[in-house]
Amino acid sequence: MSKPISDKQAFRLHVAYAEDGLANDSGIAGQERWGDLLAAAQQGDADAYRAFLRSVVPFARAVARRRSGSDGLVEDIVQDALLTVHRVRHTYQPGRPVKPWLAAIVARRSIDALRKVGRVSRQEVNNPVAYETYADPQANREDVADTARSLSRMTEGLSTGQKEALDLVKLKEMSLAEASAASGQSIASLKVNIHRAMKKLRMNLAKDRPE
Amino acid sequence: MTELPLEQLIDALAGDARAVRPLAPPPRRAMTLLAGIALLGGLAVYALSDVQQLLARYTGREVALVIEMAAMLATGVLAVTGAFFVSIPGRSKRWLAAPVPPFLLWLLLSGVGCYGDLVRSGPAGWELGESLHCLSFIIATSVILAVPLVWRLSRAKPVDPLPVATLGGLGAAALSAFLLQFFHPFTVTFIDLAVHFAAILLVVGVVSLLGRRTLAAA
Repeated sequence: MSKPISDKQAFRLHVAYAEDGLANDSGIAGQERWGDLLAAAQQGDADAYRAFLRSVVPFARAVARRRSGSDGLVEDIVQDALLTVHRVRHTYQPGRPVKPWLAAIVARRSIDALRKVGRVSRQEVNNPVAYETYADPQANREDVADTARSLSRMTEGLSTGQKEALDLVKLKEMSLAEASAASGQSIASLKVNIHRAMKKLRMNLAKDRPE
Repeated sequence: MTELPLEQLIDALAGDARAVRPLAPPPRRAMTLLAGIALLGGLAVYALSDVQQLLARYTGREVALVIEMAAMLATGVLAVTGAFFVSIPGRSKRWLAAPVPPFLLWLLLSGVGCYGDLVRSGPAGWELGESLHCLSFIIATSVILAVPLVWRLSRAKPVDPLPVATLGGLGAAALSAFLLQFFHPFTVTFIDLAVHFAAILLVVGVVSLLGRRTLAAA
């Protein structure tokens, strides 16, 4: 019952990793090394943790590529997976194989990434022509001024941290990890600031609408 | 997406590598919780229930009683244990199916029991018994069981919380239905049986939704 994956699945994974040039890392010795590094990381050994995270990246990329079927999503999935590994590293039981544990995390983050892509493509339309009324940019100056005033009204009441979080994550499309590194805000603070900023924007937008 | 500072992320995570205590193996965590539930449930049954009435209700069908209650208990125990297993990344998803056979057996035996009562009692077998009592009991007991269960499961911060919450909900509801047997001093009609299972579905649904949110936020 506690067997993590069937022999057939293990064989398929092995073939898949061999195709991705990871056959050497997917061996038992590699797994034991990862297990030792992760167990040391659980004890607070930062160097072992850094070595573990670096060494699992190719494996995580291979799983992400296979699960998502999209090269464009792989790096985002790997970053999310590493953040998740950090959050749930206490669930690894020393002595057990690392690969099924790690593969399950990356597979889950791949599903989340694919769902996010699906949501975005359902809700957003890419229509560059809609951004301009005339081919000559100078002809849109009045609209630009209106837009700037409207944007300024809408962002009234947002704190500096909220504006920064919104700018980095929503406008510059950074991941939470990147935005955290760029702003110095923790990921939790970024999430809270974005949530609050979006709520205020919605309220300001509602006020801005004609009755 | 901008340029990916993967090295920066790894350095940041390694910089936050404070010691963490690995979770105990899932069977041990499940058994600890189930032992607590068994202790409290046993005390409640000893102090408040009337086992003689339960036996009287099943006179001549003692074997059926034992198998039916064993199926209920097995459903609850396997669902709770399974929830602890699937909360850990990479553990077998077969645990999702583990409570299904005893659940089906329980459903079958309850149905057969009700049918026997229907044959014996005639139209009275279709009457609404003490369904409201059963509904309240299953819901109230499930809430009491689900709170510590979800709290214990949240320690694993499950990466896929929905199956964990669903199994937890089924476990809490099945154990509540098991305890209900000791406080159910009347014959179960088909309508009562339907209400029992409606209460179980309600508990599983609510715990799945609320538990999923709680576990996702853990």
